[in-house]
Amino acid sequence: MTVGSAQFNPEMSSKQRKIVRRSLQLAAIGVVFVATAGSAFSQQLGTPQASQTTSIPHVKCVIGLENIKANSKGTLSLLPNGLEFATGKNKVDISTASIQDIFTGQESRQDVSGPAGTVAKAGIPYGGGRIVSLFSHNVEVLTVEYVDSNGGFHGTVFVLSPGKATVLKNQLVAQGAKVTNHVQPPPQGEKP
Amino acid sequence: MKPITRTAFFSNFSVALNGIVLLMFASLLAQPSLLGKPGPAPQQTQKLTASAIQLERSDPPEDLLIPEDTRVATYENVILQLTKTQKFQHVYRSGDRTAASVPDLVILRVIPQAFKAGSQKQREVTTVSGATSMKVKIQFVSRDGKVLREKIVEGKVRFYGENLRATYDLAKKVAAVVNETF
Repeated sequence: MTVGSAQFNPEMSSKQRKIVRRSLQLAAIGVVFVATAGSAFSQQLGTPQASQTTSIPHVKCVIGLENIKANSKGTLSLLPNGLEFATGKNKVDISTASIQDIFTGQESRQDVSGPAGTVAKAGIPYGGGRIVSLFSHNVEVLTVEYVDSNGGFHGTVFVLSPGKATVLKNQLVAQGAKVTNHVQPPPQGEKP
Repeated sequence: MKPITRTAFFSNFSVALNGIVLLMFASLLAQPSLLGKPGPAPQQTQKLTASAIQLERSDPPEDLLIPEDTRVATYENVILQLTKTQKFQHVYRSGDRTAASVPDLVILRVIPQAFKAGSQKQREVTTVSGATSMKVKIQFVSRDGKVLREKIVEGKVRFYGENLRATYDLAKKVAAVVNETF
C-alpha cells in the first residue's frame, strides 16, 4: 500500500504534516474496519440461505435406521426431497415420497441417565441418587413411518429438543409427506 | 512339631473323604432337577420349520391406545431380534412384496393386548412403582392363514431405563419363543 509513502509539500508546516498523517492513518483504519465489517455482514446474510435445508444437530436416533446403531446421536437435516440423518460415519436418507405417516409427541428424559449415570446415582450416599433422579428435561419425539423399494414397512424414532419435531413435521407435510389423523393417547405427567 | 503317625493320617484322611462325599451329596440335592423334583417336562410339541419369516404389523384393539413410538420401537426391535436368532434365511418386513415368492414362509403377528405406560422418574425415585409393561399375543401363521402356534408375551422395564426399553425386553422374549418354536 502507498498510504504511508505519500508525497508531502515541503512548504507545509510540521503541524499540518502531522494532521495529514493522522488523517491518512485514520482513513487506513477505516478501510480495514469497513472491509472486516463487510465480510462479517456478508456471512450473516449468507446464513439464512444455508439454513434453507433445516439442520438439527444432537438428535438421537432411538431405533429404526439401517446401518445406524440404536441410540446414535447425529444431525437430522431436512433436504428438498426428504430427511437425512448423519452420524460421523454413516448417513441415511428417507425420501418424502416413501413416508407413510409422521407422529410427534412430548416426553421427558432424566438429566442424569445411561449406564454411567445410573452407577453415579447409585454411588451417592444416603439415597442422594433418588434426588438426582427428580431432575428431568422435556424432549420431543418424532416418529417417521416409511416403506422401502419392496414395500417393506420401516419405522424410526428420533428424540429432539422441544418444538423442533413439530417444525420438521410441518416442513415434511409441506413437501408432500403423507400424514393421517391420529388419536393420541391421553397425556401423561412423566411418560418415559 | 510332632510327626503324624500312619494311623492318625488315615483317620484324618477318612474324615476328609467323608466330608467331601457329604458335600457332593448335598450339592446334588440342591439341584432339584437332578435328584429332587423333576425338571421341566420335555417339550411334546414338534418344532416348526421355515426358511423365511415375515413380521406382520397388527393394529391394537380400538380401546387400547399405544403411543406410536412404542409400536414402532416394538416392531423394529422384533425385526432385529428375529435376525439375531439366525433361524431363518430371510426376515421380511410387513408389506414386503418379495416375500410372496417364498414357499414355506411363516408369518409372525404381534398383536398388542395390554399396555401400561410407567414413568422413568417414578421408577428411579421409588424403585417399586412406575414400571412400564406391554403384553402382546404372538401368533405364527402359515401362508394360508392357519395359526400354527401362539403365545402371550410380556415386556417390562421395572427399575432403570427409559420406557422404550420395555419394547426391547419384549422383543428378546419374542426371540426366545422363536428359538423354542423353530
